[in-house]
Amino acid sequence: MNPRFISSALGIILIAFGAIVLLPIVVAAFEEASGSALPFLVASLSSLVLGLLCRWYGRFSRNFDALKRTEGLLIVTLTWIVVAAVGAIPFVFFGLSPLDAYFESVSGFTTTGATILMDFSLYPKSFFFWRSLIQWLGGMGIIVLFVAILPQLGVAGRRIFFAEAPGPTEDKITPRVAHTAKALWLIYLLLTLLQIVCLVVAGMPIFDAICNSFSTMAAGGFSPNPQSIMGYQSSTITWIVTLFMVLAGANFALQYKCFLKGKPRVLFTNEEFQFYLAITIGASLLLAGFLFVMPGGTLSGSLRDSTFQVASILTTTGFASADFALWTIPAQTVLFTMMLVGGCAGSAGGGVKVIRVLFIGRFLKREIDQIIHPKAILPIKIDRVTVPEDVQRQMLSFVLFYLVLMLLSGLVVTMIEHNATIGFIGTAATLGNIGPGFGDIGPMANFGNLHWVSKSIFTLDMIVGRLELIPFLAMLCPEFWTLGRN
Amino acid sequence: MEILIYGTTEFSYLVAARLHHQHNITVLHDSGDLSEKFGNLDVSLVEGSGGDIAVLEKIEAKKSDLFIACSAIDEANIVACWTMKKIADTETICFIGKASLYKNFSSLTHNHYQTRYDIDSIIWPEQLLTQDIFRIISVPEALDVEFLAGGKAKLFEYRIKENSTIVDKSIKECKFPKNVLIPGITRDGKLFIPNGATSIRLHDKIFFIGTGVALDTLAADFFKHDRKVKTVSIIGGGSVGFMLAEKLEKTGIKVKIIEHSPQRCAFLADSLKKTLVLQGNGTDLELLESEVIAAADACICTTDNDEKNLLCSLLLKQLGAKRIITRVGNIQNYELFEHVGIDVIVSPKASALTEVLNRVQAQNVDVIALIEGGKGEVLRLTLPDTFQEIRLRDMHLPVNAIIGVIIRGHKVIIPNGESSLCPRDRLKIFSMKEDSEKIKNFFFT
Repeated sequence: MNPRFISSALGIILIAFGAIVLLPIVVAAFEEASGSALPFLVASLSSLVLGLLCRWYGRFSRNFDALKRTEGLLIVTLTWIVVAAVGAIPFVFFGLSPLDAYFESVSGFTTTGATILMDFSLYPKSFFFWRSLIQWLGGMGIIVLFVAILPQLGVAGRRIFFAEAPGPTEDKITPRVAHTAKALWLIYLLLTLLQIVCLVVAGMPIFDAICNSFSTMAAGGFSPNPQSIMGYQSSTITWIVTLFMVLAGANFALQYKCFLKGKPRVLFTNEEFQFYLAITIGASLLLAGFLFVMPGGTLSGSLRDSTFQVASILTTTGFASADFALWTIPAQTVLFTMMLVGGCAGSAGGGVKVIRVLFIGRFLKREIDQIIHPKAILPIKIDRVTVPEDVQRQMLSFVLFYLVLMLLSGLVVTMIEHNATIGFIGTAATLGNIGPGFGDIGPMANFGNLHWVSKSIFTLDMIVGRLELIPFLAMLCPEFWTLGRN
Repeated sequence: MEILIYGTTEFSYLVAARLHHQHNITVLHDSGDLSEKFGNLDVSLVEGSGGDIAVLEKIEAKKSDLFIACSAIDEANIVACWTMKKIADTETICFIGKASLYKNFSSLTHNHYQTRYDIDSIIWPEQLLTQDIFRIISVPEALDVEFLAGGKAKLFEYRIKENSTIVDKSIKECKFPKNVLIPGITRDGKLFIPNGATSIRLHDKIFFIGTGVALDTLAADFFKHDRKVKTVSIIGGGSVGFMLAEKLEKTGIKVKIIEHSPQRCAFLADSLKKTLVLQGNGTDLELLESEVIAAADACICTTDNDEKNLLCSLLLKQLGAKRIITRVGNIQNYELFEHVGIDVIVSPKASALTEVLNRVQAQNVDVIALIEGGKGEVLRLTLPDTFQEIRLRDMHLPVNAIIGVIIRGHKVIIPNGESSLCPRDRLKIFSMKEDSEKIKNFFFT
């Protein structure tokens, strides 16, 4: 573990981030209230100063060739923690307590979308723009962003690129990781622009269209409207957002090949994507059935809300087109099941990820088959290729860790809040980067009234969930810190 | 015909032994590895490499009409064929034993590449065997199946079982459907060509030749099968087992495959989509029983070991398997397998031999199928323009042979005594191996 290396890499990222923080000032300039630019200037300045300090400590080193795997993991984790802290600075200026500001910022960067805001009318537009922007940055992954725009990272880029989302597949579109990162951001940016155009055409104000599109493509869930998408009262808008949420939850590398390279087969023959679509459609129909039998259920309305809500929860966006906290228990159960699945690997969505669910399904089926045919050789295949032993083990242990963490966090929060719904649904919603839960933390309510310990635990859950557990778990091992010290 | 054979594998011996009476054969062999048995053949033996242009020049290879490269090494065969092509435009046949190499040649897309492989035909015995087995499986109950005239006429072989209605009846008495002929019967391991008075005995293996429809009627009336093949067990996951499983899978048949080597099992499980791959020994009775291998509609023993195939087949028979198809590597073992009661015996060498004989065209005659391990043949010949039209009942063949199919233009005729032969008719004739020369002479002199 070489602290100078880490500090130097972190410094580069912070200086770049300092520039990004200035973006909301553009929005602030359109506003009449003059003071709203100040918070971002301060945040930008502190990011720059902190970055320079880190660089100075790191001796302005640019040679990362000897970067180790553990150092890569630490850089990624620190980046998320520190960048979220810088992102919280503007919120403090708007009157949030430091913990609330940090919760909101982490919820943004990790694309969770859980909010502690109680009254939306208190804040200026630049505030909402910032909330959506940090989601958009976090959606593709801040590391992916910095790898794309910062050539200085060099070899370190490769290490931290894969450390950020240690999914089961290492899908690179191009041989060089910086090109891959650029390609991913390109498709991400294009889809976002497309959504903004669609929403504006559908009649949404431009500012809201930009903010909502940022949150949708990131599978985030922050909306400038206190009633989320329900607040716009438009079926067209609901369906547009549904479509883009589904895209946000699919693998961006495959979408790049499909839409920009003209190879649609790559996307549609992908088993994870097929399974993802199957879940979306199946669960939507089931949920539509439950909604239709509720009092006042109409066919088109229940189909619209069910598809929207399934896509929203499955892709871990967390938008609401209806207050699902008021739905019947069977309907809520369908949504809770979606919480445990999550988006596709390599998407903006969080959670367990479709591919791991698919794998677990096949793994269990194999165990049953093996009882009947003890001598059979039964490989587990995904996309017609056998999943190697070590990847199998990783996926299995990931799901196990996920459940263990969920149980632990859920139990602790339940004890603090005296409420199992908040404890477990809240944990599932934050660890899976979904956002709203049911009951007191439903889509029309907020996390603001929780105990500060619960907020801290949920904050941790969000970061751990976004980084797919592995970096966090690695840090729990004492040897992580001593490795390579001598 | 001048034939040059490179290599001294068992197969080159088989080809040489089969052809040395009618053709001039030169066998080119690498130094040192000549088997004794070549000494018994009327062929000339030359030492040297097939890829050595000097050697080929010396033996005047350019005069030969056919070059067969069948040494044990694939790459050597390919190089030998290319070298031959450099000297003269002789027809070349190259033997290949590796799937990856075979695909290079057989793939339809290889014309897209910059230069073509300049080899006339590629033979991969195990691939031919796979096709043969696949064809046999496709007809339930039948022991052997050959397609003639592009599938318009077929040759089926059936065994007569205890409860059959035609036991001890003469062929005349049996009301077989029109358009079906019986060109041959195997009784106690001996193949003969019957006539109307020949009576059918229990355990006879009878060949039927006819149109597809007629044979289906025959099968429904006399061999009572209406079930399609749904499950197949394969023992031995080598090239043949693998390719067969792949083919069967595609037609929706459920396949179980038993393979001994764990590495090969992993490969099979990776490459096959639905086949159940079982790791174990084909002679492990417990495994055979617990996986109900014998209950499949067809069991195929295709390990590369004759002893193992024999033992597996017998075990499966004891467990009540309905149809067993067994691969034999050494042609000498054919009779033994037959003797102990194995229904269908197939061999990659016989499959390849048919293919080679197909190429050795002489006087418009070629062999399109070998029957009973080469004891009988189905010949294909085209009558010359000078042929006098004649009714079959007036024609007297010098030997016992049956004209099974007449193809006139696009018409397929299953002949009877009233049918007549015209010039340019294409005939499929079923005969004993030793008689084929006489038949050729009869039609072409």
